[in-house]
Amino acid sequence: MLQYETVFIADPTYTDEEIDELIKGYEQVIGSAKGKVIKTEKWGKRRLAYPIRRSEEGVYVLMTIECPPSLVKELDRRYRMNDRILRHLVVRVENEAQIGPSPMMKPRPERDELMAEPMMAP
Amino acid sequence: MRMGGRESGGGRGQDRGRKKQYKKKFLFRKKKFCKFCDEKIKFIDYKDLRLLQAFTPERAKIFPRRISGTCSKHQRKLMQAIKRARLLALIPFTSD
Repeated sequence: MLQYETVFIADPTYTDEEIDELIKGYEQVIGSAKGKVIKTEKWGKRRLAYPIRRSEEGVYVLMTIECPPSLVKELDRRYRMNDRILRHLVVRVENEAQIGPSPMMKPRPERDELMAEPMMAP
Repeated sequence: MRMGGRESGGGRGQDRGRKKQYKKKFLFRKKKFCKFCDEKIKFIDYKDLRLLQAFTPERAKIFPRRISGTCSKHQRKLMQAIKRARLLALIPFTSD
């Protein structure tokens, strides 16, 4: 069993309930492959740094999981199948620091301001 | 800083000696060091936007090693983290 970290960006038209359902769906997939979810983080709706499929916003969800390597392919396939998932990433957990709450979950009002306004050209 | 040691006025001929001194001062720079080695950071998280943004200034290009002084080991890890963050639209590829 290996530890993976997966982030996906869902379409901003998703409601909170739909997001919960989506997460539940993936948890089932992970469970059926004898994997387990270590943590789930909902970063909520964020402004994207650049538009993806004409969308300026996205709903971010991070899951840290422990599963056999074969599940990565399956997860990848499922992410691709869903048209309303803008982006996804599955990577190995390299450090224990990734198991705990991510920097995204720390309350930092300045950070959001930084992302909200586009960087000035030199 | 560069202009710090220089004094105003004085003819060209008189200035020679001082100019040499100034040049020497200019050649001396503070030694660059790897921020990550210094702070003993072993793992660079692609989610740590604060950190990544410090290494992707202005046009969002990756800050080169020759300027930042980051060691090759950490520059590689930094690059990986920046590329992952870009894929997830956390930081831009470019910004104009």
